[in-house]
Amino acid sequence: MAKLLDKQRYKCALGAMQTVQAITRAIPILHSGPGCAQKLSDSTGSSGYFSPNIFPCTSINEKDVVFGGVKKLETTIENALKVIDADLYVVLTGCIPEIVGDDTGEVVSRFADAEKPVIYASTAGFKGNNYIGHEQVIGAIIDQYLEKSEKKEKGLVNLWADVPYQDLFWLGNIRELEKLLAEIGLTPNTIFGYNRGIEQINKIPKAEFNLLVSPWVSLSNMKKMEKKLGIPYLHYPTLPIGAFETSRFLREVGEFAGVEEKKVESVINEHENYYYYLIERYADLFLENRVINKQFSVVADAQYALGITKFLANDLGLVPAKQFIVDDTPKQYRETVAEEFKKLNYGLEAEAVFETDSYKIHEQIKEHDYHGYPLILGSYYEKELTESLKGNYLNISWPVQDKVVLDDFYAGYTGGIRLIEDIYTVAVQRFN
Amino acid sequence: MAELRQIAIYGKGGIGKSTTTQNLTAGLVEHGKKVMVVGCDPKADSTRLLLGGLAQKTVLDTIRDEGEDIELSRIMREGYGGTRCVESGGPEPGVGCAGRGIITSINMLENLGAYTDDLDYVFYDVLGDVVCGGFAMPIREGKAKEIYIVASGEMMALYAANNIAKGIKRYAKTGGVRLGGIICNSRNVDRELDLLRAFSKELGTQLLYFVPRDNIVQRAEINKKTVIEYKPDSNQAQEYRNLAQAVIDNTKFDIPTPMTQERLEEILLEFGLMDSADDYHI
Repeated sequence: MAKLLDKQRYKCALGAMQTVQAITRAIPILHSGPGCAQKLSDSTGSSGYFSPNIFPCTSINEKDVVFGGVKKLETTIENALKVIDADLYVVLTGCIPEIVGDDTGEVVSRFADAEKPVIYASTAGFKGNNYIGHEQVIGAIIDQYLEKSEKKEKGLVNLWADVPYQDLFWLGNIRELEKLLAEIGLTPNTIFGYNRGIEQINKIPKAEFNLLVSPWVSLSNMKKMEKKLGIPYLHYPTLPIGAFETSRFLREVGEFAGVEEKKVESVINEHENYYYYLIERYADLFLENRVINKQFSVVADAQYALGITKFLANDLGLVPAKQFIVDDTPKQYRETVAEEFKKLNYGLEAEAVFETDSYKIHEQIKEHDYHGYPLILGSYYEKELTESLKGNYLNISWPVQDKVVLDDFYAGYTGGIRLIEDIYTVAVQRFN
Repeated sequence: MAELRQIAIYGKGGIGKSTTTQNLTAGLVEHGKKVMVVGCDPKADSTRLLLGGLAQKTVLDTIRDEGEDIELSRIMREGYGGTRCVESGGPEPGVGCAGRGIITSINMLENLGAYTDDLDYVFYDVLGDVVCGGFAMPIREGKAKEIYIVASGEMMALYAANNIAKGIKRYAKTGGVRLGGIICNSRNVDRELDLLRAFSKELGTQLLYFVPRDNIVQRAEINKKTVIEYKPDSNQAQEYRNLAQAVIDNTKFDIPTPMTQERLEEILLEFGLMDSADDYHI
């Protein structure tokens, strides 16, 4: 029976146009009705090499449903190639052409000889949300564009993390992770954000390994690359936030990549010294404030729910209440993701709840005894709720309405410090 | 003036829906009835006998070539005895959505004012199986309230008829659509009449008429005519006149009671295959 879903925190698979838009000089070509993209485009800013609000779209109507939209798609691609100076054209299909049965693959294959690469990803909304759509786009690049390379570049590692734009801090996070990898002597390769584009995509096959920092998103892409391109992968499920997890992350990556232990430890040492210097200076605030109390809940996708839970428990010694994972994690990954929440320091364990319905999440938060003011890190949907509970609230996941993030980040040592700043700013503002 | 009767004809592909509909229409015309036939099949061959050939440009072809700003006369032609003939048509095989095409073209007919007050009957001749919601269009939204299923004594024809009945039952719950009966287009199968009677009874409906097999139908088809036009004095012409009379007189409209596959096969065994089952040899 159909049920009501209250305030879900994702978009449909076509939301993967944001993934394409995060690749500099790549352009999405939408094969969909005119309304789909309009509803999907937000939180991406409004200008850039291509404004995210400007993209070719077949804008199909009833006539195209009846007769099929393939001719319109062909001319739309043809003209996009003529008038838009892009490096990569990614055709994304919406629900309508997928239901009608338009053979998008066949149309796109007619452009195999075009000067620029044209690929397509099946992103009908009924196939899943934009996390799945993101995987479809990366999958399309692997399947339709990349070729195996016998030549490998020493130390080159492809770095993959969560979904651009859906993740508010995607750009800052990935840059910070790049920086850390570089510090231990690796050469990170990423395809998203400023100064990253087709050139970085072309380098993917030459990498010695793929590094996936995500609980589950893109795991299928890693397997695909292992099979097609012969690139092994390291799956690090936790977004490292703060000293404890980041040091562990560097050790694990260093070991996998065969980096000399001494080098890794020296990098860790330098970062930790500074990190704990800062923590120590403000230890009084952390220990003696009575506002950020003992228990917290994160309401976010698996990436942040896990990353922040580990950080708050391991680094700040806060006690986790229920943690809500809102990305509709596919069933096959749920067990292993939930298992990660049990690997906390001090014998702590957190219960991970996979729930997409905000009403149900809010009911559970209301019912729980946080032993004081609850600390809720979630989307804008949690703001009113937390206020009604006299709790402390921080907007860290989509949708974001009360925060502007250009390249701020929570990953790494520095990211941990930023998160502490944000949380305790909320605390001190309470009484000042 | 009598109320307009909108009738949808369903049945297994190749069973003779179009042939039966057009010959029935010719019978109604002889009674002075004003009839419109709407072909709801991408093959667009539902009005060939009335028009004397595939002279018709379909609604969807017209929309495709000329847009939606068209005159009714561009998509409706007059056929035998003043019947109005329309072919919905469809996309090229293998592309687009023919089901949506049916919806589009029936909406177009309404917008262009094809349903005039002087009409007595509108027939929707729908392709073989109701494969998706589009092909159920004629029985949705209060269009055709009356349905006849064309069947024969062959198993697959009855299987299809039973399936169609499931669709009718669904729409009968919310709308006024009813099954008017089964029309048997005979294939000269053993004990066909008994089988069809038993099947109709089980389906909670009637066997409205049994049209015997006669090769004159094929000859008329080759000549692009209905039997009534081709050989008005033939026995088969009279059969179609009788069918027309049965439709005119029909007052029995039921919500069907579709049966399970097992029950359907039981009936077939009982009436169809029982005698020959044991001496079946390859």
